[in-house]
Amino acid sequence: MKPCYLGIDIGSISTKGVIIDQDHKIIRSLYLWTEGNPIDAVKRLLKGLKSDLPKCYEIKGIGTTGSARKLIGLMVDANIVKNEITAHAIGTLSYYPDVHTILEIGGQDSKIILIDHGIIADYSMNTLCAAGTGSFLSSQAKRLGIPIEEFGELALQSKNPVKIAARCTVFAESDLIHKAQLGYEKKDIVAGLCKSIVLNYLNNVGKGKQLKGPIVFQGGVSKNKGVVKYFEEVLGEKIIVDENSHLMGAIGIAILAHNNENGKTYPLNIQDISFQTKGQECSKCSNHCELLKIYRNDELIDSWGSKCGKY
Amino acid sequence: MDKVKIGIPRSIHYYYYGDLWISFFKYLNCDVIISPKTNRDIMNCGIRLATDEMCLSMKNLLGHIDYLQDKCDYILIPRIDNYGISNQTCTNFLAIYDIVHNLFSTPILSYNIDVVHHQTEKQGMIQIGEQLGFSKKQSKIAYLEACNCVWKNKKLAIEKNIQKLKSIKSKVLLVGHPYNLYDEMIGNPIISFLKKMDVEIIYSNLFYSEMTNQASKQLSNELYWKFNKENIGSIPFVQNQIDGIIFLSTFPCGPDSLVNELVMRKIKLPYLNLILDDMDGMVGFETRLESFIDIIQERKRKHV
Amino acid sequence: MSKHTISFPHMGNYSIPVYYLLTHILNVNVMIAPKITSKTIELGTKYSPEFVCTPFKYTLGTFIEALELKADVLIQAGGGCRYGYYSELQSQILEDLGYQFTYINLVSKGKTDIKKIYHELKKIDPNFRVLKALYYLLITSKMVKYMDKVDNYIRENIGFEEVPGSFEHENQKMLTDFSKAKGFFSLYHMYHKHFKKIKRLPIHKPEHCLKIGVIGELYTLMEPFANYHLEMTLAHYGIEVKRYTNAHYLLFEKKKEVKKYLKYAKEYIQYRMGADAADNIGRTKYLCTHGYDGIIHIKSSFCTPEIGAMPIIQKICNQYDMPVIFFSFDANTSQVGIETRLEAFYDMIEMRRKK
Repeated sequence: MKPCYLGIDIGSISTKGVIIDQDHKIIRSLYLWTEGNPIDAVKRLLKGLKSDLPKCYEIKGIGTTGSARKLIGLMVDANIVKNEITAHAIGTLSYYPDVHTILEIGGQDSKIILIDHGIIADYSMNTLCAAGTGSFLSSQAKRLGIPIEEFGELALQSKNPVKIAARCTVFAESDLIHKAQLGYEKKDIVAGLCKSIVLNYLNNVGKGKQLKGPIVFQGGVSKNKGVVKYFEEVLGEKIIVDENSHLMGAIGIAILAHNNENGKTYPLNIQDISFQTKGQECSKCSNHCELLKIYRNDELIDSWGSKCGKY
Repeated sequence: MDKVKIGIPRSIHYYYYGDLWISFFKYLNCDVIISPKTNRDIMNCGIRLATDEMCLSMKNLLGHIDYLQDKCDYILIPRIDNYGISNQTCTNFLAIYDIVHNLFSTPILSYNIDVVHHQTEKQGMIQIGEQLGFSKKQSKIAYLEACNCVWKNKKLAIEKNIQKLKSIKSKVLLVGHPYNLYDEMIGNPIISFLKKMDVEIIYSNLFYSEMTNQASKQLSNELYWKFNKENIGSIPFVQNQIDGIIFLSTFPCGPDSLVNELVMRKIKLPYLNLILDDMDGMVGFETRLESFIDIIQERKRKHV
Repeated sequence: MSKHTISFPHMGNYSIPVYYLLTHILNVNVMIAPKITSKTIELGTKYSPEFVCTPFKYTLGTFIEALELKADVLIQAGGGCRYGYYSELQSQILEDLGYQFTYINLVSKGKTDIKKIYHELKKIDPNFRVLKALYYLLITSKMVKYMDKVDNYIRENIGFEEVPGSFEHENQKMLTDFSKAKGFFSLYHMYHKHFKKIKRLPIHKPEHCLKIGVIGELYTLMEPFANYHLEMTLAHYGIEVKRYTNAHYLLFEKKKEVKKYLKYAKEYIQYRMGADAADNIGRTKYLCTHGYDGIIHIKSSFCTPEIGAMPIIQKICNQYDMPVIFFSFDANTSQVGIETRLEAFYDMIEMRRKK
C-alpha cells in the first residue's frame, strides 16, 4: 500500500479536496459548492474522492483549512488544522518555490501573502467588509443576469470600463444599479466591476505593501480573466494563475498533513456517521457566551465559544 | 538666486488660510503654486496613499500634496492643536504635519498653532517668514498686510451671505466644513445641483466666528471643537429665516459624527444628512436632494 | 428621600476600584452594571450614530442596561479625542429614549472641572465631603497601581501557566480582597500577600519565548470584550505579551511619558497627535529595537488618532523589518476572522524565529 494525504479546504462558498502522494503530486481532486452546509459538503466531497481513489493507496494524514476548518477537523479527526494563510503559502511554494507575492480572493475573504526566501514575511487580510470578494462578484453577476463563468470573458470585450465606487459593498451595489439604469452597456459595467475589485483590493488589503514579482493569483476569483487582466494592468507585472489555483489551500494543508504524519490510517467512512451542531446561549454566568456544541452520533464531543472555560 | 517656490495644497487648510497665505507670500515676493481643483486623479492618488479608514478629506489632502511634491521647494502644512481652551481641533489637524512628514520627502514649511501653550498664528507666520530668510520685521508687516486684505474680503463675503437671507426663494443652510463644502469633488457637485434647483444657499462658514462661537452653545454646551462650533453656530442665527438644513460631511468624520447627530436631534427644521464617501457619481444624491427640496417647498407653500 | 443609584461603564477589571471609591465617598447605592454581552453591544449600536467609534456604542449599551435596572446617576469619563464629547450626545440619546437620570461628566470641554463635579456630587449626596473623597481617591489610585502591576506580570506569564486558569483564579481572589481594603496599610498588605502567591504559581517558560507588543487605542486595549479576548488568545499560543496602556499609565504617567516618547522617536514625530497616537509611535520604535517578535496594533473602528498613527507605525516596522498587524474592531467583527488572522500571525513570527 502506498501512503497518500488528504487536504480539505472548506470555504464559505466552495469546498475543495485533494489527495496527494508522497511526492506531493495530485492523485485526485474535487471542487464543489458548500451551499451553506459544510458538514454535508464534506460528506459529499469524501464520497466523491473515495469512489475513484485507486485501491493501492491508503490515507495516512488529513488536514483541514478554510473558515470551517475547526468543525471539519473535528469531524474527520484531522491530524492538522491550520489557517488558510499558512496553507495557501505552503501550497503555492510547492509549485512556485521563488514566488514573492500571493494574491488570493475567495468567497468572503481576500488576502495578500508576501514570501521572502520561502517563508511568510508579511500578510494581510481584508478588514471591514466583503466588498471586492467572490460572494460580492457572484451576487452582482446574478443581479445583472450573467452566469459567473462568463463574467470574465465578457469583461475582456470591454474597451471602456465604467467607473464604479467600490469602497463598500452597499455603495458599490447602489452605484452599479444606477449605472445599469442609466443605460451603460453590460460588458462595460462588468469590466468596471472587475476593475473596481482590483482597485479596492489593492487599496484595502494591499495598502503599504510592496508587491514584487513573481506574483501568483489564486482563489475562486482568479478564474475570472477580467480581474486577472486588470491586476496586470494596474501592477504592471505578469500575473501567474495556475490551473490548480483554486486548490492551493487544499494542497498546502495536505502537505502539512504529510509533515505531521503520526502513523494513523484513515478509512474515510464518515458519511455513515451523524454529525450535529447546536447553538445555545450559556446561562451559567453573566458572560452569556454563545456556545456551539458538536455531537457525533448524538454524543457531545466538543463545545466552542466559552470564554470562561466552564466547558 | 532663484525665488523659493511654495506649494499650497488646495485642500483642508487652504479653505481657512489660503487667501492669507497667498497675500503673505505675494508681499514677500515668493512664488506660490497651488494644486489644481480636486479631480479624479488627485482623489484616487490620495485614496491610494492614505490609510483606508482616514476620512475622505484627509485622503484628498494627501492627493493634493502628492501632486505638489516635485513641483515646489516647500509644501506648506501647518499643525493646529487649538485656538485656546475649549477651542480645539479634530485630531487629524494635530497629526497632519507628522503624517505628511513621514509619507513625503519634500521639505515642509510648517508652523504650530497651540494657543494654550502660547503659540499663535501670528508668531507662526512670522516664523516661516524668517525661515525663508526674511527679517522679523518684514515678515510681521507681510502678515499684518495679508490679514488686512483677507479680512476685508471675508467681511464682504459674510455680508453677502447674510443678505441672502432676505431672498424670497427657498433657503437652505448648508452646514459643513469649508474644505468639504467648496471642494470640487466633494461639496461642489451638491452646490451646483442646488443652484440648478433654484435654491438660495446660505453657507455655514460665512458668518462672524465670534458670534457663531457663542451661538453654538445654544445647541451644544460641551462642544470644544472650534471648527464645529463655527459650523453649527450659524444655525441659531438663521433658523427662523430658512426653510431647511443640509449637513454635509465626509465619511467617517469624527467630530461630525457626534455633533451633527446631536444637532439633528435638537432642531425643528427639515434636514438632510449627506455623508460623502469615495463616490464617483452624484446619481444617488440627486434623488435625495430633489425629494428634500420638494419637501421644503411644499412646507413653504403651506405656511404662506 | 430615597437614595440614588449610581452606575458607570465597564472597562476590564476597573469596576472594582471604581466601586470601592464610590461606595466609600458617597451615601448612595453603587451598581456595577451588567457585564458587557452581545446584547449590550446590540443595544448600544442600535441607538448610536453610524460611524461613531465603538467605545461610544459599548458604553451607551451599558448605560441603557443600568438604567433599566433603575440606576439614576451615570458617570462617564473623557479623553483627548472625541471621547471627551461622548457625554452630551449620550445623555441626549438617553433622554430621547425617555429615561430620567443625572449624568456626571468627569471631563467637560476637554478639561476636568473639579468645581462642577463637586456641585453635582453634592446634589446627589448632601453629606459629600471633599477631604474624605481625597483620602479614598488616594487609596483607589494605589489600588489601580497594584492591580496594573500584577496585571503586567500576569500578561507576561499567563501563556506558560502549568495549571490552566490558575493566574486568573488568584487574580480574582486578590481583587475580591482589594474591595474590602480598610486603608493604605491593609491594601498594601493584601497586595504583597497575593502578588507573592501569584509569583509562586508554577510556570514553564522557555528562556527565549516569543514576545509580542500590543499597542493601540485605550478602550479596545483594556476591555477584553472589545478586543475579542485577544490577549487570552495570544496566551494560548504561548506568547509573552507586553502592553503599556493601563489605567495607571493614563492617569499618572502619560503626561511625563509622552514627552519622552516624542524625544525618543523624534525622527518620526514632532508633535502630539491626540489620544495615545504619539505614545504608540514611540512604543513601536522601542519594540522594534528591543527583541520583540511582532507588534499588534488594535483599535476600534474609526478611531481617528490611531488612524493617523498607522501609516507612521507601518513605516517604522518596514524600516526595522518588524511583523505588524492592524486590527480594527467593530461591534460586528467576526470572531473566526480574528482567530484566522492571529493564528497566521503566530505562524509567521514562529517561522521567522526558526529561521
